[in-house]
Amino acid sequence: MTNPMRTVIDWLDDRAGVRDLVHEALYESVPGGSRWRYVWGSTLVMAFMTQAVTGIFLWMAYSPSTQTAWESVFYIEHGMTGGWLLRGLHHYMAQLMIVLLALHFIQIIWDGAYRAPRELNFLTGMFLMLIVLGLSFTGYLLPWDQKGYWATNVGTELASQAPVAGAALKKIALGGSDYGHQTLTRFFALHAGVLPALLVGFLVAHVLLLRRHGLHAKDPRRGPDTAFWPDQVLKDSVAALGVLAVVLALTIWKGAELGAPADPANPYNAARPEWYFLFLFQFLKWFPGELEIWGAFIIPGIVVAVMFLMPWIGRSRVGHFFNVLLLLVLFGGSAYLTAQALYDDNFAAMNERTEENQARYDASQAFIEAKHAAEHDAERVVELALSPTKIPPTGALTLVYNDPYLQGPKLFKQHCASCHNYEPISTEERSSSDMVNDSPTAPNLYGLGSRKWIEGLLDPDQIASAHYLGYIDSPFASGGEYSEMVDFVQESLGEDVEDEQRKTIQAAFKKIAIALSAEANLPEQQAKDREDAELVAEGRLLIEGGLADILESGTSCTDCHSFGEMQDIGSPELDGYMSRQWLIDFISNPADERFYGESNDRMPAFAPHDDPQLNQMDQKSLQLIVDWLRGDWYRADKATTASKEK
Amino acid sequence: MAKPPKQQPTSLPPPKSRRSFFAVFAAIVTGAIATLTPLAAGLVTFLSPLLRKSKSPQVRIALLDQVPDDGMPRYFPVVADREDAWNRYPKQRIGAVYLSRQAGEASPIAFTAKCPHAGCQIGYTAGNDVFQCPCHTSVFNLDGTRSRGDKEVSPRDMDQLPVELREIKLADGGAVTEVWVEYIDFQTGHKEKHPTT
Repeated sequence: MTNPMRTVIDWLDDRAGVRDLVHEALYESVPGGSRWRYVWGSTLVMAFMTQAVTGIFLWMAYSPSTQTAWESVFYIEHGMTGGWLLRGLHHYMAQLMIVLLALHFIQIIWDGAYRAPRELNFLTGMFLMLIVLGLSFTGYLLPWDQKGYWATNVGTELASQAPVAGAALKKIALGGSDYGHQTLTRFFALHAGVLPALLVGFLVAHVLLLRRHGLHAKDPRRGPDTAFWPDQVLKDSVAALGVLAVVLALTIWKGAELGAPADPANPYNAARPEWYFLFLFQFLKWFPGELEIWGAFIIPGIVVAVMFLMPWIGRSRVGHFFNVLLLLVLFGGSAYLTAQALYDDNFAAMNERTEENQARYDASQAFIEAKHAAEHDAERVVELALSPTKIPPTGALTLVYNDPYLQGPKLFKQHCASCHNYEPISTEERSSSDMVNDSPTAPNLYGLGSRKWIEGLLDPDQIASAHYLGYIDSPFASGGEYSEMVDFVQESLGEDVEDEQRKTIQAAFKKIAIALSAEANLPEQQAKDREDAELVAEGRLLIEGGLADILESGTSCTDCHSFGEMQDIGSPELDGYMSRQWLIDFISNPADERFYGESNDRMPAFAPHDDPQLNQMDQKSLQLIVDWLRGDWYRADKATTASKEK
Repeated sequence: MAKPPKQQPTSLPPPKSRRSFFAVFAAIVTGAIATLTPLAAGLVTFLSPLLRKSKSPQVRIALLDQVPDDGMPRYFPVVADREDAWNRYPKQRIGAVYLSRQAGEASPIAFTAKCPHAGCQIGYTAGNDVFQCPCHTSVFNLDGTRSRGDKEVSPRDMDQLPVELREIKLADGGAVTEVWVEYIDFQTGHKEKHPTT
C-alpha cells in the first residue's frame, strides 16, 4: 500500500516541483559553517512577519477617522481581550526593527558584504531601510494621540519646506491643508497597503539576490561548509526568540503608550519624534533660519546618496575603509545627537538653574512639565472613556472638552490666575499643579466653599491673610473701605474675649461653617452634609440671627447678608452660597446687587450680557471653571463603589 | 511510479516583419490604456486636494476690553467653523493668537501663535518678557522679533495678522468694541511670509 502523504507530495512535486523548491530553500550552503553574525537578516524577516501578522489583526479593529482612530485604538488597548499584547508587540517590534536594521547594516558594511557582485542586494536593502522608516513615520500618527499628531505635524511641516514641490507634497500627504480624516486615511493606506506591498516586493528581490550570489561568508575557511537547515536556522530561530523576548518584556513592563486624543487646538509642547528620529530633530537645531534646508534636506540627502553609492566606493581598499569610517561617523554622530537631544530635554532634572543656563533650564523645565501634563491628561481621558457613559459618537475629544477636571485648570489659568491663586493653605498638601502668583490681588480659591475654606474665612488670622481678604490693595482688609467682615470676625474673637466665651463663639462659627458649606452642595461633601443634618440646622439658626445672642456685638450674619427669610443687599447673598448656580451668577456679574454691588472694585463681569457674543467668557467655560472649583467631576473610584452598592 | 518527462514551454524567436511592428505598437497602446486608466482615475482623486481652495477666515477674537494697553501679550484661542472632508465642526478652536496693546494705542497687534520655524505653538507665560517655542527653542521678544536675530532657529519674526476693530451697538444705547483678526496660515521655514491658502 502506498503512503497517501507520499502520493500527495509526489503529485505536488510533479505539478509544481516542490521538492526542488524546498531543497533550494533549506539546503543553501553556508560557506565556513553557520555563524551567529549571520542572524540579523533573518531576524529582520521575522520582525517583518510579526508586523504583518499583528498589523493585519490590528487592522481588523482599527478605524481611521478623526472621531474613531484614537477611540478604536483605545478599544483595542482597553476593551479587547489581549489587545494590549497585540498592540504592544506591534509597537515595540517596530522599534526593535530599527535596531535590527542598524545591526544588519553595520554587519554588511563591516564584513564588506556589499561589494560586487552583491551591489543590488545592497541597493534593495537600502530601499527596504527607507521603506521601514516610512512605515515608522506613518504608523506614529495612526493612534491619533497628542504625541503622534504633533510630532508628525512637525515632520510634515518640515517636509513642506522642501524646495519646489514641498508645499504641494504636504497637501497631497495630508489630503488637504490641515490634518483631518483624509490625513488618516492616506497615512493608513500608506502604512498598511502601499509601503508593505513595496516592502514585500523589495524583500523578495533582496532574498532572491541573496540566493543567487550566496551568503557572503566572512571567513569561508573557518570550518566545513554546512547547509542552511538546520544549523543556521537554529541560530536564526534562537535570535528571533531573543528578539521576541525583548519585545514581550517591553510590552509587559511598559506597554504601548497611548496619549490623550489629538487636539488640534491644544498643542503638545513635548512633541518629539520617536527616539530613532531624535538625532534628526537635534541636528535641525544646528541650522538657524534659512539654513534649515541644509539640515533638513541637503545634508541628509547627500548622506543617503553616498550610502547608495557605497558598493562602488568600496571597490578599493581605501574605498572600503572610507565606508567603514562613514559608518562609524554616522552611527557615532547619531548616537551623540540622540544623547544630546535627551540631555537637553532633561537638563532641568539633572542641573540647578543658574544665571548662565537659565534659557536652557527653562526650556527643559517646560518640556518636563508638558510631558507630565500630557501623561496626566492621557490617564484622565482613559478613565473617562472607561466610565459607564463611554465615548460619545463625536469622539473622545468631546470627553476632554467637557471634563471640568481637565479643562478647569486651563481656563482658570487663562481667566482667573492673574489675580487668584489656587493652592492648599497647608504646605504639606501643595503640589506642582497649584497655580501660584507671589502677589495675588484676590482670594485663594482652593477648596472654595468647603467647610475648611469657610472655617478659614471665619478665623481672625486667616481672613486677614492673602489667602482670604488680605490680598494686595484689598478694600475688604482691615482699614480698607469695606473692612466690616474682617473687623467683625476679628472683634468677635478679639483678645479681650474670655476663654469660655471664645469657645462658645468658635463652636458657633464651626456650626455656621458647616451650615454655609452645606449650601454649596459640594459633591465631595454631600454624604457628610447629610450625616450632619442636625449641625446644619443649628448652623442655619445661628446665621439667621441666633449668632446675635452669643456675640457681645449683638450682630449676626443676616445683619449684612441675605439668608432665608432675612433679605439684605450689598453683601454677598448666603442662600446657595458657593453652589453651582450661585458661582455662575457671581462670576457672570460680581457687581450685581446679590453679590458685591458697589464694593466690587476689581473683578470683571465675565458674562453680564444675555447675548453671549458680548461676553468675555462663554457659558460653557464658565460652567467648567465652576465645576472644577467645586470638585464636581467624574471620579472612577466613586463610580465603582456606586455600582457595587447597586 | 515512473516520473513523466518534464514539459518545458517552448519559446519562439521574436518576429521581425512590418506587420508585427503594428502588432507590437497596438499591443502596447491597448495594454497601456487598459492598465493606466484605473491608475489615472486613482491619481486624479489622490491629487484632488491640490485643486481645493481655502480662504483665511475673519475671526472674532475678543472684546477690546480684554486687551488692556499694558503691552503684555494675551493668549486667545481662535474659534471658527472648521471643515474636515465630510464634517463641519461649528465653533472649533482652529489655532491661537496673542494680542497685545501698547500704552495709548487704540488697536492691539495680533501674532499668530504658530511658530514660523516648524509650526509648533509658541508659548507665553504671563509676566515673562519673551515668547518661547517649545520645539526647537526659538525665542521671540514681545514685539515678535527674534531674540537673537538671524542666530535664532526661526527664519523670520513672529507672523503678525491683520486686525480690525468692530463696534457693536448695545440695546441699552452703549457700545462694545470687538477685535477681529484675519487668521492667515503662513508657510513655515522661509524668510518671507507666504500664506498657504
